[in-house]
Amino acid sequence: MTRVHRSPFWAALLILAVLFAGPAAAKHRSGTLDTVGSDTMAGLMLRWGERLARQHPGMRVQLQASGSASAPPALTAGTTLLGPMSRPMTEAEHQAFVDRYGYPPREVVVARDALVVVVHRHNPLPSLSRPQLDAIFSETYRCGAAGGIVRWASLGLERPAGRIVLHGRNAVSGTHGLFRREALCGGRFRPSVSEHPGSAAVVAAVAEDPQAIGYAGLNHLTPSVRPVPLRDAEGVRRAPVPAAVRRGDYPLARDLRLYVNLPPGESLPAAERAFIELVLSAEGQAIVEELGFVSLPEAVLSRQRRQLGFEPR
Amino acid sequence: MKPSAPNLPMRQRLRQGRDRLATALITAGGIGVIAAVMGIAVFLVVEVMPLFWPAQSPGVGLETLWLPQDLAGLEAPAYRWQPTLGDDGGPLFSLTPLAWGTLEAAAWSLVIAVPLALGAAAHSALFMPRRLRARLRPTLELMEALPGVVIGFVAGLVLAPWLERHLGLALALLLLLPPGLLLAGGLWRQLPARLQQRLPLGWAALWLMPWLVMTWLLAHWLGPRLESLWFGGDLRSWLEITLGLDYANRNAVIVGMAMGFAVVPSIYALAEDALSGVPRSLAEGAQALGATRWQTLWRVMLPAASPGVLSAVMIGAGRAVGETMIVLMASGNTALMTANPLDGLRSLAASIAIELPEAAPGGTHYRLLLLAALLLFAFTFLVNTLAEVVRTRLRRRYRRLGGPS
Amino acid sequence: MRWWRRESGRARLPRGEGPWAWLSAGSVSLSLLLLALLLGLLVSRGLGHFWSADVALVTLQDGRQLAGRAVREAPLPGGSGRERLYRTGNRDLDGAIWDWVALTAIRDVDYPQELVVLERRRWSEFIGRLVALAPEAGPRLEGEAAWSALEERLLELEARREAIRELREQTILPLVRRLEREGESEATQALAMAEARVAELRASLAGASLVLESVSGKRLIQPLEEVVRARRPNAMTAFDKLVAWGQDVWRFLSEGPRAANTAGGVWPAIFGTILMVMLMSLLVTPFGVLAAVYLNEVAHQGRLTRLVRIGVRNLAGVPSIVYGVFGLGVFVYGIGGRLDSWFFEASLPSPTFGTGGLLWASLTLALLTLPVVIVATEEGLARIPHRQREGALALGATRLEMLTRVVLPMATPAMLTGVILAVARAAGEVAPLMLVGVAKLAPQVPVDGDFPFLHLERKFMHLGYHIFDAAFHGGDVQAAMPLIYATALLLVLVILMLNLTAIFLRHHLRSRHGTLSSY
Repeated sequence: MTRVHRSPFWAALLILAVLFAGPAAAKHRSGTLDTVGSDTMAGLMLRWGERLARQHPGMRVQLQASGSASAPPALTAGTTLLGPMSRPMTEAEHQAFVDRYGYPPREVVVARDALVVVVHRHNPLPSLSRPQLDAIFSETYRCGAAGGIVRWASLGLERPAGRIVLHGRNAVSGTHGLFRREALCGGRFRPSVSEHPGSAAVVAAVAEDPQAIGYAGLNHLTPSVRPVPLRDAEGVRRAPVPAAVRRGDYPLARDLRLYVNLPPGESLPAAERAFIELVLSAEGQAIVEELGFVSLPEAVLSRQRRQLGFEPR
Repeated sequence: MKPSAPNLPMRQRLRQGRDRLATALITAGGIGVIAAVMGIAVFLVVEVMPLFWPAQSPGVGLETLWLPQDLAGLEAPAYRWQPTLGDDGGPLFSLTPLAWGTLEAAAWSLVIAVPLALGAAAHSALFMPRRLRARLRPTLELMEALPGVVIGFVAGLVLAPWLERHLGLALALLLLLPPGLLLAGGLWRQLPARLQQRLPLGWAALWLMPWLVMTWLLAHWLGPRLESLWFGGDLRSWLEITLGLDYANRNAVIVGMAMGFAVVPSIYALAEDALSGVPRSLAEGAQALGATRWQTLWRVMLPAASPGVLSAVMIGAGRAVGETMIVLMASGNTALMTANPLDGLRSLAASIAIELPEAAPGGTHYRLLLLAALLLFAFTFLVNTLAEVVRTRLRRRYRRLGGPS
Repeated sequence: MRWWRRESGRARLPRGEGPWAWLSAGSVSLSLLLLALLLGLLVSRGLGHFWSADVALVTLQDGRQLAGRAVREAPLPGGSGRERLYRTGNRDLDGAIWDWVALTAIRDVDYPQELVVLERRRWSEFIGRLVALAPEAGPRLEGEAAWSALEERLLELEARREAIRELREQTILPLVRRLEREGESEATQALAMAEARVAELRASLAGASLVLESVSGKRLIQPLEEVVRARRPNAMTAFDKLVAWGQDVWRFLSEGPRAANTAGGVWPAIFGTILMVMLMSLLVTPFGVLAAVYLNEVAHQGRLTRLVRIGVRNLAGVPSIVYGVFGLGVFVYGIGGRLDSWFFEASLPSPTFGTGGLLWASLTLALLTLPVVIVATEEGLARIPHRQREGALALGATRLEMLTRVVLPMATPAMLTGVILAVARAAGEVAPLMLVGVAKLAPQVPVDGDFPFLHLERKFMHLGYHIFDAAFHGGDVQAAMPLIYATALLLVLVILMLNLTAIFLRHHLRSRHGTLSSY
């Protein structure tokens, strides 16, 4: 049985909007542009696309939000010039691109995100250190814990009583991978972690159960759950508030990126340029905030704008 | 236009030619369609084969898939399904917990569905007037048409949180329902004859509903009291401390309830067919000898129809094993190997649904998920074939006993 | 015992049937009750979502105020009373749209008439007070005047938005597609003009703004352009609310989703579901009938045919996800990949048919429902008495003529039954679609004015998948719940409608062909 290898296509997202470096470039940008990549960033891409379409009504974006892993193959294959990813490219993905084009893909950081550990809103848990987190979620204890923590009493809490009920994302998601790498030191999850198909489902499950703990993306927080501050190596408590995430103090933060196929020395095609200009502008960053992610500091934005040649150096 | 004489053989030949052509086309088409449908099994087998050539997929073999493995950080060998584990050791593929979860979910759904469906079938075959029975069937067919995703949503996002908060009520309900129904029967016996005729047993299915609602209200009142009286106010921690049972808020029992609800109609329909297909003469003979209708059912009809009832249950089991959305949404997807019905589970079908789109075609993970599909296929196909054989036997038996065809 | 009862004049009464009879009766009522409960839940929550409930102004013990709609209550841990969840909106001001309040902390609940609920394009809804309307030019309007002016302006805005949408869909997008096909042409000019017109309309939307104040006293300048709807639920009469309810239900049915599937309507999903089912029945009917006719009329009735028949029958019980796996492996990766490399090389490596889409989804579901149609049609064929066939043949008809003139018409009701059963099964199936072509969001329906009008390669939205997606992938499950209920109700209604159509059709045909078969 022959098969054509291609990126997974889970939940493809086709939306109205954006871009095409048409012949009538500068004023009437029109046409269709495909972007392929992260489903965490689907909402962001969609809103940016909508915003750009208001400026240029003839544009359409087709967004396939299959997950970060689908972006590198699409970029390498030339299907798309823009690949949104919620994690950095791996060495192999990077190398595949370089082998094909002879230059590395350009990386543009567009927003910041964080994973938050959430408990029920009435859970008084003050904070967790990384070894504690590891002892709760993993069965390998690589981060230095002496043994597993399975009961709330082991964390010094009187209430909630009983066992800790674990919730998390499904194994193929980037969130699962990041949490495993950062919070479990690459160890193995306990098999009793419920695997939900989305972060929203994790939050909803934790909100219903006083004995539950789970991890989810920052933008899914609701008042029904409480984010638990994490203690860093020095024992300082870091709450997942936007300021801490922006400064990089919060341990479980990550950058959201756009990978661009841009030969060195050349400038971007007008359409992609307009899109990235919007993303790095105050207006684009306001959308980041609106969707519950963390916007970038102005210094990072202007540095990137300079590097891409949007602003004089 | 008038047909002229020399044209006749010509037209005749044309007609016959057309007929032959059509027959050939029908044959080709029919065989083609059937081959396409049967092709599913061939496709799955062909795709799964490379798994068992050691060169193709290192680290995957019968014993790693089905037996517990020694793992770093664990004292005893264990089963783990962690398909994306990167770094050291590579991914862990153990199909045993998935197969276990599938069977566990199916078993619990049968525990819920079989009494309900068989009870309903017996009642409608024995007591129900024809008019009511003609209405009941389409109603239950409507129940069958309810999509799995709707039932799964209600089970996972409405029933599971509700049950988590109302464990005491659920327990009280479980304890009150059967005695409540018997009490209804007892009270009915005490009613004056006129009222009894107003509320005939044949229509009990309808007039018992308010009674059940009252039972529910009673359970609502009794539940919390029961919980504080027997279980120190918190059934969940009592279960955990006294019996050592973890309570996951999406668990096998919830999956069983939702899926049981979904398979009740198909079991009911087949079982009712089997029961009402029992030759009339048998039942009438028994009743003429003074047996009650229930005795007739138990001693005469059920033994005669037992293969049909069995095949109905088997068909229900086949459906429960393959149901995807309900398990996916209501089970928590934890690949555990426990017999605790209050813990989560993960089924083969749900794993395929969430992981296959992300698995690279041709990779080990992809082929393993195809193997899971092949297992589901083989299991349901076998169960259904068995049920079919049983039913054919049954039909022959009825014919021998002189029933309707 | 029994004899005594007969003698005592109660012989005509049904005899006691023992406890089991009651338990079995109970199981029927329990099943029916559960079904009623489920449907009742869907109907009440699904339709209740569109009701503009009153907005409460809650004053807490500490003097803090909040305005919102009560959603649900939950017990506080430790048995210390209950707490209530309010949907308060105003995410731009408060950072969240929910607020949990312990019942003991509430001092007073009031329903003042002047509270407004603004549905906005960003930041979810606003709940609070309208202070003033500041038009582009002219004096600020305040108080009641501001409200009536706002209502007027919103109608106007709606008309302009509609004009923009129409311009975009009817003029600009076709022009863009023409440009893509032909390159530079006179289309460029037309496009420039249309875009200028849109820009003009857009400019006319901007300018005016609202001055709003939340009940906690925070002020907000809201550009009017972003407001979709404004209501004062506490000032509405029951009749007003009913009208508003009707409007909202209509918008739900006719609009596309917004805010990552947590708001707006489900029109593309309705369309996708029905189109996919129609395509599937178009595919399954001829093939199913062909196979049934072959099995029953043409094939030699030997052991092999019997085995094949049992095999086909049992395929109806194979889980749908297995068909999805087959569709993904054979249709999408296999046939789709080949088609791409033969006919769509120009657009490779971006897949055309080599990814999930409408065609593959319909084909997969057709395969899934094929056994149902075959079995039903075969049953119909088997029921036709042999003398009918023999009569036709004796009168000199060929086999083809016998089939098309006599046998098939008589079997039509059975065929239709099969197709209907197939449709009812396919409409609710979600699992295989997740593998072969359903999309999270595809507001462009796969039928449009562009050649070849029906785009079989496109992904489509589906009501069932929409439920799954909103329940697990969305941003906030609590916010999406009412929408999920409404979608679930709609899906059940669509399936019910398909079933009823089928039953009606069957009945109609049976009465027409009934005369034929009685000969």
